[in-house]
Amino acid sequence: MITRNTTIEDLVEDYPKSVKYLADKGIRCIKCGEPIWGTLEEACLEKGFTQDAIDNAVNDLNTLHDKGSDHTNPDKLLNIKTIKKSK
Amino acid sequence: MTINIKNVLQNLGLTETNLGVSTGVTWFDTEGKINTSSSPVDGNVIARVKTATLEDYEKVVTKAQEAFKVWRMTPAPIRGEVVRQIGNALREHKDDLGALVSYEMGKIFQEGLGEVQEMIDICDFAVGQSRLINGVALQSERPLHRLSEQYHPLGIVGIVTSYNFPVAVWAWNSALAAIAGDVVIWKPSSKTPLTAIATQKIIQNVLKENNVPEGVFNLVVGRSSVMGDNFLGDKRIPLISVTGSTAVGRRAGKIVGDRLGRALLELGGNNAVIITPEADIQMAVMSTVFGTVGTAGQRCTSTRRVIIHEAVFDQVKNAFVGAYEKLADKIGSPLDEKFLVGPLIDQHAVALFEEAVAKVQQEGGKILFGGQKLEGHGFESGNYVMPCIAEAENHFEIVQEETFAPIVYLIKYSGDVQNAIDIQNDVPQGLSSAIFTLNMREAETFISQTGSDCGIANVNLGTSGAEIGGAFGGEKDTGGGRESGSDAWKVYMRRQTNTINYGAELPLAQGIKFDI
Repeated sequence: MITRNTTIEDLVEDYPKSVKYLADKGIRCIKCGEPIWGTLEEACLEKGFTQDAIDNAVNDLNTLHDKGSDHTNPDKLLNIKTIKKSK
Repeated sequence: MTINIKNVLQNLGLTETNLGVSTGVTWFDTEGKINTSSSPVDGNVIARVKTATLEDYEKVVTKAQEAFKVWRMTPAPIRGEVVRQIGNALREHKDDLGALVSYEMGKIFQEGLGEVQEMIDICDFAVGQSRLINGVALQSERPLHRLSEQYHPLGIVGIVTSYNFPVAVWAWNSALAAIAGDVVIWKPSSKTPLTAIATQKIIQNVLKENNVPEGVFNLVVGRSSVMGDNFLGDKRIPLISVTGSTAVGRRAGKIVGDRLGRALLELGGNNAVIITPEADIQMAVMSTVFGTVGTAGQRCTSTRRVIIHEAVFDQVKNAFVGAYEKLADKIGSPLDEKFLVGPLIDQHAVALFEEAVAKVQQEGGKILFGGQKLEGHGFESGNYVMPCIAEAENHFEIVQEETFAPIVYLIKYSGDVQNAIDIQNDVPQGLSSAIFTLNMREAETFISQTGSDCGIANVNLGTSGAEIGGAFGGEKDTGGGRESGSDAWKVYMRRQTNTINYGAELPLAQGIKFDI
């Protein structure tokens, strides 16, 4: 279960869909290819989230995870355009 | 050449599930989370790693403290001899470790070999340095007094490394720390734990044969919940070396600074190449392309910006696009030597690449080449992209950021070379820089006090691919640390000033009179 004290690294590793959700809220979980250090709460506070907004984010992330959406195709999740290349 | 990864893993002593905590020869069966290491090359699971708990971390620190007491008393040249043998062990395993670096991280095999060669090179450097840990004899202002400085071992050195150089950065730090009489605790990237475990296994025979105490070379694979703020804030660790993003470095600097520890920070870069009208254009383009797409743009020193004089802008731009067109067929498995560009580390990195491509266009930039995710045979992992060239302006928000992917911004300048230097310096980061010119005045201006504000400033070669002989590091948001060659060894030691009175009088400094 995701809480305020869940580290960003754990979110990235265990709940990868969180990355896109948080990016949309202005929190970049990955920098230089590595997860930033610190907790979800710290990252939210740094971006000026209110306490209510943090609670909402925690709830949203748990809902996202409960839906099992972390196991869906990450391409779809990230809305990545692709080009096909045959070799 | 075909690389059989199963053989590579076997040769390196890796199994399906591996222990991730070691104090040298001893490995600990830990109960932390089990991490899975997957290859960015094909998306396959390579192996699993049992990570550390806080209790395991404590055990390691205790062992390291004990070991330091012994290791600091071992003569430096004897410590150097151990490092020499580590270098030789790495030579013996260069192909296998290079292949694993390539498979776990995604850089091409040639760069994997190069990374192991860097480890060997720094070992060689450290061996020599082990006989050159020299102090300074100074002149005392007082008669019959001798003033001098000497260097002593510091203690435990914490090393946090990143996935893009999963083993070389450990070697830069630990080879010097070891000859300095320090002991090290290594927290490798969670993305590349297997190369770290393989390295520890390679060196363990050397440690055993030389009776190196348990606790000199420690490895702790653990998430930041176990090896995070507690590690940075641990007063038992006088020096923490962090290679990573500016965000991680800022956090580390704050935590280590709060306890008045020492932090060696090697953080992000936003490296630029300046191409003046007096450059050898062909040489400039060929060299710069390696800087932009080498390691798929995932080096701290990757070239992010190319600042080109308006008189040669179109010529350079066309040459760049031409070179990238040739590269388009050379993207693929890094283990296949016909390819020159491998994958990004994961799909998050791909997403950030695509975000940068979109953002530069939103800000008014123009894509000149590439920028797409690749799909199809050989690209099933979803981590491959077509390197991107964009025409942009330096003030764009996205240009000011470091995007850890193969996207390069071409920026036009006019007038004097100082204008180009001003543009180059106008970013938060200050790691590496380069100028291509055959004009001595331009070259000298670039490396002068009014020139590049970066830690590395090259003339007629690119921003990446530093040798180990020079000190490596940068200024501003890059963190200010220096590691590897030159006198970087000093950061791993504590300096002590000694004044010895061999006379019968007690003169005070500054001529102060204090007669009782």
